[in-house]
Amino acid sequence: MAEEIVFEKIKGIHKVPREEFYSSGHRTCEGCESAMVMRMFSKASGPRTIALGTTGCMYVANTAYMTTPWVIPWMHTQLGAGGSAALGTSAGLRALMKKGKIPEEKINTIAFCGDLGGADMGLSAISSALQTDYDLLIILYDNESAANTDIQATGMTTWGAQTTFTPTGKVKRIMQTRWKKNVAGMLAAGHPNVKYIATAIASFPPIDLLNKVRKALSAGGPAFIHTLDPCPKGWDYHPRYSDKLGELAARSGIFPLYEIDHGTAKLTYNPPKPRVPVKEYLEKQGRFAHLKDEDFQYIQQRVDSMWEDWEIPGIIPVRNGTIRSEK
Amino acid sequence: MGKISTLLDEVAEADIKNVEVNYRGIFQKTLARKICKTLVYAAKEEERTGFSYGRYSDAPERNGVPCKYFAVVAEMSEEDLEAEAGAKIEPNDVNVSIVVDDTMVKGVEPWGFSGIRPINEKVKLGGTLLVVSERSPLELLKNVAKKDFPYKIAVVPGKHSFSGLWVYKDDFTDARVLGALARIEPDIVGLEALRKVVPEKLGAEKIDALNDGYKSVIIKSIAPGEGIDWPYSIPTLPKWHEFKEGIVVKSVARGGRNEDYKRFTTRTMRPVIRFDTCIKCDLCWYACPDECFDPTPDGLFDVNYNYCVGCGRCAEVCPVPNTIVMVDELKFENNDSPYHEYKKDKEAYIEWADQKMGEKRVNYPFVTGTGLIEENVKKNDGEKG
Repeated sequence: MAEEIVFEKIKGIHKVPREEFYSSGHRTCEGCESAMVMRMFSKASGPRTIALGTTGCMYVANTAYMTTPWVIPWMHTQLGAGGSAALGTSAGLRALMKKGKIPEEKINTIAFCGDLGGADMGLSAISSALQTDYDLLIILYDNESAANTDIQATGMTTWGAQTTFTPTGKVKRIMQTRWKKNVAGMLAAGHPNVKYIATAIASFPPIDLLNKVRKALSAGGPAFIHTLDPCPKGWDYHPRYSDKLGELAARSGIFPLYEIDHGTAKLTYNPPKPRVPVKEYLEKQGRFAHLKDEDFQYIQQRVDSMWEDWEIPGIIPVRNGTIRSEK
Repeated sequence: MGKISTLLDEVAEADIKNVEVNYRGIFQKTLARKICKTLVYAAKEEERTGFSYGRYSDAPERNGVPCKYFAVVAEMSEEDLEAEAGAKIEPNDVNVSIVVDDTMVKGVEPWGFSGIRPINEKVKLGGTLLVVSERSPLELLKNVAKKDFPYKIAVVPGKHSFSGLWVYKDDFTDARVLGALARIEPDIVGLEALRKVVPEKLGAEKIDALNDGYKSVIIKSIAPGEGIDWPYSIPTLPKWHEFKEGIVVKSVARGGRNEDYKRFTTRTMRPVIRFDTCIKCDLCWYACPDECFDPTPDGLFDVNYNYCVGCGRCAEVCPVPNTIVMVDELKFENNDSPYHEYKKDKEAYIEWADQKMGEKRVNYPFVTGTGLIEENVKKNDGEKG
């Protein structure tokens, strides 16, 4: 008899399952936060889980020359194929169960993709997976750059950040002039079939991600979680501060933490006012070392607007029938 | 025909001078590149050809993972040199192997199935292992594998420079290493050529550092057989026909770890734990991205040093001052379980841990490139390590 899947809410760090399904021995950076996302989602989902990984840091680092740290079955898929792989796996399991080839039971299907694979290239595949009624979870682990191929800018890179595509220069200080996409909000607004959508940070608030994964897996349909992963490599900070950076992202309000459970939106962490100035979060990263006060002010003003002017603060930028498009 | 071509190969190889820089991924990438690039510019000043390149298989580079950068210099045309040395992942042997972080002398394992290799593996007969270190060549030799031919270990006195990526902490290590190189192997690059190139490429203020490197380098000849018997074996990669269908890799058994890639050579510092002051909050275990902490029956957590990469997150989240402190990796001889030592003899373990932690603590700035500061703290009082 297969082990039952537990979806109970975890209350406190002492209650977090001790068993690892993503084990030691992966070629990730010192202090890698995306490795924490892998570790935490597999802890929450347990042994009856199939993980699907698109190309990116968490594919290459975890299959270093014919070795793996995964305990649960894991499969690599193409850069933009996170959604299709989740959909195909989930549909395959349902078909096998209907035909009686495998026993009827709940098997978690979790696909994860990086910000380039998920928010840029794989967006259409994710969109189509979220239109179905299949039971699947897609996790977008977002470290705001294509860090696997040496830190190129993506659609998720914060405005002003230095990457290998957007190096600062003597004539032009800011090369990353695009604002980060609002992927979770976009997917929530456009996919009536999606059962659960959330944003999370693996380290803050503690256990939050584990419980969001459990909620997503028990939602009974397609689900999507967007995590912000501080990246010591591309963000250029000391690896010991990954937890601190995650906390500052939440407290400063630059990354709103919320969930949309069967169509009802709720902030899961409301940064206490006055919010921590975003400068405190940005100045701790080498990729923003070239920013001047006016740049910090600009980012602060956009973040403030997200919390004060948006129809649903931090989630949907619509008001009075117009979509806000700030300059 | 075969004989002639081998002979030609040997002639060609003798003319080519190879230098490698062993560096810590990302932290020292800019530093390694600067050393190799400047070296090639200096060789061009002496009307020789050269190029520098990173080791392809190190990509994607990860923080702390041992990586390599190379410089090749020869008296031949660019086309010939490229044909001889351009299409290699790394040279077969090197004249000088530079190590910019001395903890790498304990061995390097850049990826799975590479095995933990001795740091002097590529040093050729009469070549030099050049280390930036505060330790003496003989102290370093206690970790270095023996070779069956004579070579040299040289030390540029100094702390390892974790100079960072976007923000480059310029502590002049690049110029000092180049100065030392000119002293060790004037055939590769002369001091005069470097004096011309360094001000232009690295900055005028670095001339003194260049001269200082030239003067202060300590060189020690190592006889055949000096060093240690290398304790690690080099694994062989599976052949293509040994792969399972669909390139299937066997998963880790429940409760196990990836036995084929223990990655402790990524570490420069290791967490030392005072189990007696632990309040069993579980935070270190929760925060570890490498799953190194093993729960014990009495609620404490053992550390598996075979997998710890020394990121320091456990020390950062630990709420009790001086309970988890990061300590220089070269102070340790093995990866044995600290919990077992503690269980064997509690008092002896606490004394040992205290002695390893010492009185000094490192103050870590957020942006690595802004430099580490060492400061004195009173024990169990004030800032944690």
